[in-house]
Amino acid sequence: MTTFDLTRRGVLLGAAAVLTVTGAAKAVTLPEIQKRGYMTVATEDDYQPFEFTKDGKPTGYDQELLEMLKKKAGLDIHQDIIPWTGILPGVTTGKYDAAVTAILVTQERMKTLDFCSPVAESVDYYLKRKGDKKIQGIKDLSGLSLGVEAGSAMLKLLPQLDDMLKTTGGHLGKIVSYQGYPEAYQDLALGRIDYVVNTLLSLESIAKTKPGTFEVGEAVSKPTYIAWAVVKGNTELLNLFNEFLLGTRKDGTMYALQKKWFDITFESMPEAPSANV
Amino acid sequence: MGTGDYLALAAGAANTIAISLLAIAIGTPLGLGLALIRWGRLRGLDNVVGALVSLLRATPAVTLVLLLYFALPTLGLEVPRFAAGVATLALGSMAYNCEIWRAALLAFPHDQLDAARAFGMPRGLRFRLVVLPQIARAALPALVNEMTLLIKVSPAVAVIGVTEATRAAVRIGAATYNPIPPFLVALAIYVIVIGGFVATQRMLERRHRAGLFA
Repeated sequence: MTTFDLTRRGVLLGAAAVLTVTGAAKAVTLPEIQKRGYMTVATEDDYQPFEFTKDGKPTGYDQELLEMLKKKAGLDIHQDIIPWTGILPGVTTGKYDAAVTAILVTQERMKTLDFCSPVAESVDYYLKRKGDKKIQGIKDLSGLSLGVEAGSAMLKLLPQLDDMLKTTGGHLGKIVSYQGYPEAYQDLALGRIDYVVNTLLSLESIAKTKPGTFEVGEAVSKPTYIAWAVVKGNTELLNLFNEFLLGTRKDGTMYALQKKWFDITFESMPEAPSANV
Repeated sequence: MGTGDYLALAAGAANTIAISLLAIAIGTPLGLGLALIRWGRLRGLDNVVGALVSLLRATPAVTLVLLLYFALPTLGLEVPRFAAGVATLALGSMAYNCEIWRAALLAFPHDQLDAARAFGMPRGLRFRLVVLPQIARAALPALVNEMTLLIKVSPAVAVIGVTEATRAAVRIGAATYNPIPPFLVALAIYVIVIGGFVATQRMLERRHRAGLFA
């Protein structure tokens, strides 16, 4: 049960409206990109530890990978830093050639996007208040209120937790959806909810930042994958990304970055991501 | 929060002020133009303007900015993001201001126009010397009210990557897991900017009153 902060990958109404109006866009193929002389990618600005901004400058795991790609690809890469809401519409309308951000691979997203080789693995865990005695293990979560991000993949993975709880005669409690995880953590700290479900990487990051407030629990979902994406059918561009990404796995640079940003490495990921949600 | 964070917030504040001022500078006169079309009952155009205003007032800023930034390029029209942000706010402001100006125009006493016409004042001069100074004074409180609303809607344009004050605060909160301090600073920024607008309005009103009773 992994969940990256991928939660924000929800599709907002505004974005949906744009897509309805414009329809699916045609992809800019690799030869066209080479002729144009540059590639355009979209990255996020508030998704620790994957991509975020420090003193106004982009940083994070994906950002460091992207900078390596910039050196290796032999073509200019124009980077647009925008909130999650605009990223997938930007790629599907053809404004950007690729989304270089931590997207959780889901079956639904595979309908409009082609995912690159995964950059991380995600298992959802639960986060509780430090020293909360009523939660000792998964079965104690029964009936307690939980927080997740609205429209997130984590929300979609909750049935897996419900199934786990049912084996011990329990049930999922009240689900509170938030616009973003920072608000969910805030409410957990204030005692308005009992636990938060999110991907382990994000939860470890916050637990490390606030060790006196939060504590990471156990896995509540099966593993899913996190990958960059191009619009569906843009195979040559996908291959360019895959060649680069698999190369960084072969020479170990990707694992070194994982160690740096996540404190764990994912060496057993498949070459092509599968959707478990 | 470190020095870098304050600098990022200051840059965000500069963006908030720049897009808001530009949108106001564009939207306010355009709104007046539309109101004059409706006031003058220009055949055909009148209804078009009415429909446009209704449509714009029904469109959320986030939807409009996504449309301008992502949909127009598919029609071959590339819009820089700052321009898309300004255009979004200016279009909304234009629609609301049209109604504000129209209300002032409808309340304008017709006998003054008749008097001016009787002296042979041409249309343009009539508008500039007789109508505009009076409706501007009548509309000022509502116009400033609309300006303050525009400033508070401006965070909507962050969705296409224009980093204004609120987005700058979100970024700092996401990087530090401590969202309250940057939001308090952002709040102070809005209070100061909006305070500036209200103070300007008061000054204009005071000056006008002084002029009247001098």
